[in-house]
Amino acid sequence: MSGMSEMSAVWHPPADLVRRYATGGLDPVQVMSVEAHLARCGGCRTALPYEPEWLAESWERIEDVVDRPWPGLGVRVLCRFGVPEHVAGLLSATPSLSRAWLVAVISVLGFAVGSARVTSGDPDALLAFLVVAPVLPVAGVAMAYGRAVDPAYEMQAATPLSGSRLFLLRAVAVLTVALGLTAGATLLFPGPLGASAAWLLPALALSLGMLVLSGHLPPLLAGSLLAAGWFGAVLICDGVLHDRFLPFQPAAQGLYGVAVLVMLPLVCLRHRRLAPGEHQ
Amino acid sequence: MHRFFARRREPPPIGSDSDDAELLLAVAAERTEALKILHRRHAPWLRVRLSRRCADPDLVDEAIQDAFVAVWRDAHRYRPTKGDAAAWIWTIAVRRLISSLRRTATIPPLARLEDTVGVRPVVESAEDAVLVGVEHGELGTALARLSPELRAAIQATVLDGLTTREAAQLLGIPEGTVKTRVMRAKAQLRGFLA
Repeated sequence: MSGMSEMSAVWHPPADLVRRYATGGLDPVQVMSVEAHLARCGGCRTALPYEPEWLAESWERIEDVVDRPWPGLGVRVLCRFGVPEHVAGLLSATPSLSRAWLVAVISVLGFAVGSARVTSGDPDALLAFLVVAPVLPVAGVAMAYGRAVDPAYEMQAATPLSGSRLFLLRAVAVLTVALGLTAGATLLFPGPLGASAAWLLPALALSLGMLVLSGHLPPLLAGSLLAAGWFGAVLICDGVLHDRFLPFQPAAQGLYGVAVLVMLPLVCLRHRRLAPGEHQ
Repeated sequence: MHRFFARRREPPPIGSDSDDAELLLAVAAERTEALKILHRRHAPWLRVRLSRRCADPDLVDEAIQDAFVAVWRDAHRYRPTKGDAAAWIWTIAVRRLISSLRRTATIPPLARLEDTVGVRPVVESAEDAVLVGVEHGELGTALARLSPELRAAIQATVLDGLTTREAAQLLGIPEGTVKTRVMRAKAQLRGFLA
């Protein structure tokens, strides 16, 4: 099998020397000599004694790893950050984390930032951004799960991880991505940071509301209700109270803050109830 | 990209008498039986050689397993023109051993220090020709006269093909110490051989 190596190494160590090398009974210079030879002589390498049971066991463990499908890049990154592998696999299959949704979110945000820059901080552009931004995460979550949107729905319906737990996991992943992207867009906005960051608390409140409601309603319905409520409130402020920016004033922000503080423990409790085995 | 193309290419038929390069080509095409033949052929001597560098058999076994998994994933990167397949697999295995030593963060449980010898198998040089018969040659006598510490340092860096940092992790000594020991060993060898 390695004819070339054998030709270049004329001298072969006697079989006894090779055996003693394997069992550890040689002096350092002899070991060196044998190793130098083994490195280029396949014939002498295969002549080394070995334990068949050890070899079989070692191979079994390698085969076990090699037969598994090689996880995608997303799964490997998540695993690196300590996410359990089965959870990482499910997250990476989240439909609304698909390219289409990401492209949609990024283009909406890009459009908002672009128009604000072109009109150099026009209040209309800022208002549009502030009104739309809190709904983006909710829209993503509404599409995170369900028969209508998830091609893997049938398969997951039969897996041991319960639907609600899966929903919660995916929802949190989607919220994180959406909030992160929107925060990035905020930094690109012209004008004071405080004004363009006013979407954050409403977004958090709506997202948590989404998580709470989805325990009782189908996600799509829950998302639609929350979005309708939010847009309704914005329209009322504009049309009835004649203050377009009222939903973003400090008083309103206080309300969102309270709502967040109330809903956060509810969501945490629900998560704990759904995943009893995974907390230390 | 390479992996993509490797998958498409029809590999040659393989058997237990195929050479390593053919087997690696088949491994790149995701054929487990080729990896199994490679494992059968190389795991035993890797085990002996790694055991001379680490006295913990579990770490050695783990390094061998990791190495073959790495061979499975990286077989498409192997180029026969760049050196012998056995040498390529050895390099992977010894690096795996060093990184698991680093992970366990213990002082490397060395086999007897004077046993930590090896050769860099990649180079085809006059040095190799001398080493093959090192037992009988002048270099053998000269190496035998080195102190165990100096010999271990020169073996790990010059002959095992490790970087200074890897040698330091394998031997459990600071990098600076590796460097000074290698310099002193070389100076002494030059003196003995003069």
